[in-house]
Formats: sequence, structure tokens, C-alpha cells
Amino acid sequence: MDSTEAALIRRCQAGEKEAFEPIVRKYAGRAAGAATVLLGCPHDALDASQEAFVRAWRHIRRFNADRPFYPWYSAILRNICRTRLRRRARRRTVPLAEGHASPSSDGNPVALAEQTERRQRLFEAILTLKPEFREIILLKHFHGLSYKEMAEALEIPIGTVMSRLHHARQALREVLGEDGS
Amino acid sequence: MSCDQFNQWAGAYLDGELSEADRRRFEQHLATCEVCRREVADLRNLTEDLDMMRFKEPGDEELARYWSGVYNRLERSFGWILLSVGAILTLCYGAFRAIEELIRDPTVSVILKVGVCALIAGLVVLFVSLLRERLVVRKVDRYAKEIER
Repeated sequence: MDSTEAALIRRCQAGEKEAFEPIVRKYAGRAAGAATVLLGCPHDALDASQEAFVRAWRHIRRFNADRPFYPWYSAILRNICRTRLRRRARRRTVPLAEGHASPSSDGNPVALAEQTERRQRLFEAILTLKPEFREIILLKHFHGLSYKEMAEALEIPIGTVMSRLHHARQALREVLGEDGS
Repeated sequence: MSCDQFNQWAGAYLDGELSEADRRRFEQHLATCEVCRREVADLRNLTEDLDMMRFKEPGDEELARYWSGVYNRLERSFGWILLSVGAILTLCYGAFRAIEELIRDPTVSVILKVGVCALIAGLVVLFVSLLRERLVVRKVDRYAKEIER
């Protein structure tokens, strides 16, 4: 755990809003990117990631400052995105096809570092997957979690992590036309 | 085990997540199965690409805009809390005075007075019931547990 981050969080817990700024700045790119993957489109992603920071601030006193901030924030963000996806499914105001636009559209600053045509295509393919597949790809490949950490974060057995990840990758290969069929 | 079953292990094998015994079994199978070897090679290309993907860090200007969006919401949420508390207190006080006057007014029929009292009592019971339910749900709420982490 980064001692500077722990110190900043303690200042946040004392009510210092200025101490929250470096934390938000540090994770903003990752947060907006994660929200894009979780929501399956850039639409709303920036807003969802900002809402998650606001919610984190509101509950910061209940957070253990000795633990890393991002996994906790990420759990809040995943909940917000799940709620938004449920609402979206009920209202059906954002057609899925619209959601699969380029990730850099809609004023969203999310873009891939070291962008190549193949990676861009891969990223767009990820956005077409089912929400639970997008979530597990995000945790494994963007956040670099182990199977045990993913099982804890998603509250599912390790066997389910393994099979979900397997099916997510197969689905991704199908979208990319690389399934060998 | 069939190739299909071994295939399910391919991802975990590449991620280094198979147990020592399973890894050995898988490698023994790979040594004899061309189809699975090809499958692992294809999957390796995909996972390597996925592992290389990172989000670009936003520039200073974008970060400043982002923080300003968060900060404005923080301030606004405080404003909303004050507004809500103020509105609830004002409404409660206004309702209390209006009911007090209604009950003391001898020209108002008893039925109306009883009706208003029942209405208020009903609202209070419903409010307390909802509040209690909310507190009970909070104890088992997954999101609330995450907040406590």
C-alpha cells in the first residue's frame, strides 16, 4: 500500500476535499476506461466513474486507509455500472448498436495506450460481449487480478472464474473471427 | 479427459493458474495433441494482446475538467442534503401547525378531524416500517458490505 495514498485518505477522512484531488487524478483514466468496458460503450462512462468517486468520498470514513483505494473504488464503480445497465435494459433508450461506437466518441477521453489497429479492434470487440464477460476481462487483463482475487471481488467460486473467463475469451475470439471455425 | 475438457484448462494454463498436478497432466496431453497445441498457441496470442492493453492516462486539461466535475458534484450533494433537511423541517412544522389549527377549530366536523389524524398516523407507521426495512436490508446488502471494506 502506497503510504502517500494512505496519508491522503486519512486527510480525506478528516474532511479535506483537496486531499481527494490527487487520488481522483491518479485513477481517473483507469476509472473512465473501466466504466467504458463495464457499460459496454463510452456513453455515460465518464459520468458513472465520477459518480463512483462521489460515492467513495461520501463513505470514505468507513474505508480502511491502510488498504489500497482502487479495489474498493472499483467495487463501487461495478455496482453503479450494474445498476445503470439494469436501468438501461428496462428503458431500452440506448440501442446496443449505438453503444458499440468507437470508445473515443461521445466526448469520452478513454483511449488505449500504445494504440494499434489490432488492439483497437480487440477493444471494440470486448465492448460487444455480455456484461459478465466484459467484467471478467476487465478484472483479469486490465486490472491484472489473479483468479483468487477475482473470485473474492465477484463473490463466486474459483471454478466459476475459470469457466467464465474461458467462455469470455471464446466469445471474444468468435467476435474477432479467430475461433478456427 | 477429452480435448474439449482440456480446452477449458487452456486459459488457466496460460494464466499460470493450474495446480502443479493439473499443469503436468495438461502438458502431457499437449505433447500428444496437435489440435490442443494449436488452440493454446491461438489463445496465447489473444491473452498476450489483452495483457498489453492499458488505458491512456488523460492529459492535464482533461484531468482538471474531470476533477472539477467530481468537485462540483461533491459540493452539490452537500447542497442537496441541506435543501432536503430544510424542506423536511419546514414541511413538518407547517403540517403540524395546520393540523393543530384544524383540530382546535370547533367549526370543523369531528369526522374530518378523525380522518386527518388517521392519515397522519398511517403516514408515520408507513415511514417507520420503510425505515426499518431499509436498515435491515442494509445489513445484508452486498454494496453496503463493499463500502465497509
